Amino acid sequence: MTEPTRRKSELTAYLSHELRNALACIQQFGNILVDGLAGELSGEQREYIGIMLENASKIRSVLDSALDGVPDPLEKCTNKIERASGLET
Amino acid sequence: MDRTKILVVDDNPTIRKGLSVRLRANGYEVLFAEDAISATAALVTERPDLVILDLGLPCGDGFVVMERLHKNDSLANIPVIVLTGRELADNRDRALQAGAAAFFQKPVEDVNLLFAIRKALDNSRGELRFDE
Repeated sequence: MTEPTRRKSELTAYLSHELRNALACIQQFGNILVDGLAGELSGEQREYIGIMLENASKIRSVLDSALDGVPDPLEKCTNKIERASGLET
Repeated sequence: MDRTKILVVDDNPTIRKGLSVRLRANGYEVLFAEDAISATAALVTERPDLVILDLGLPCGDGFVVMERLHKNDSLANIPVIVLTGRELADNRDRALQAGAAAFFQKPVEDVNLLFAIRKALDNSRGELRFDE
């Protein structure tokens, strides 16, 4: 394994561990609140925590794609931008 | 009748607390260990019915805990569910080959974890393979 590859692998492992643990905490306690395990919530409180959990889920999807080898949709975007730039020049 | 005893092994205290609230709400007794050495000690002294095991731990890692568990005949049948922040590549296959009943990446959906716990407890040999 080359040095840049090794460093990239270490960075990926670090990011996966740190971000997934933080996200797990947000999701765990959000669900605990929504499920009423820490007391009843008002409708408004439930709605706001729902928004929080929905966005945590989006972050998770990005993490899954970026860190676990699922094809990166941003690659296509980059190609499009390069082609557009080429046309302009 | 004694409640089902689950040992949660994770070095993150917030993760431990969150799992504790969820598992207790579902009727389980919950024990904690925060590193590989205390996890091994808890397995021997507490004889849990199931282990939820992180892979990245101080004083060894989750694979070390599984290896010690499976080398001890009296503990080898305790099902292990791996719950980790580590990347899928290598770790999932390695964990299942090491005898884990299930493998989850954090964050896990509560319903999936609770389902895997019930299934793993039903199958004391932990032969179930369940991936989220």
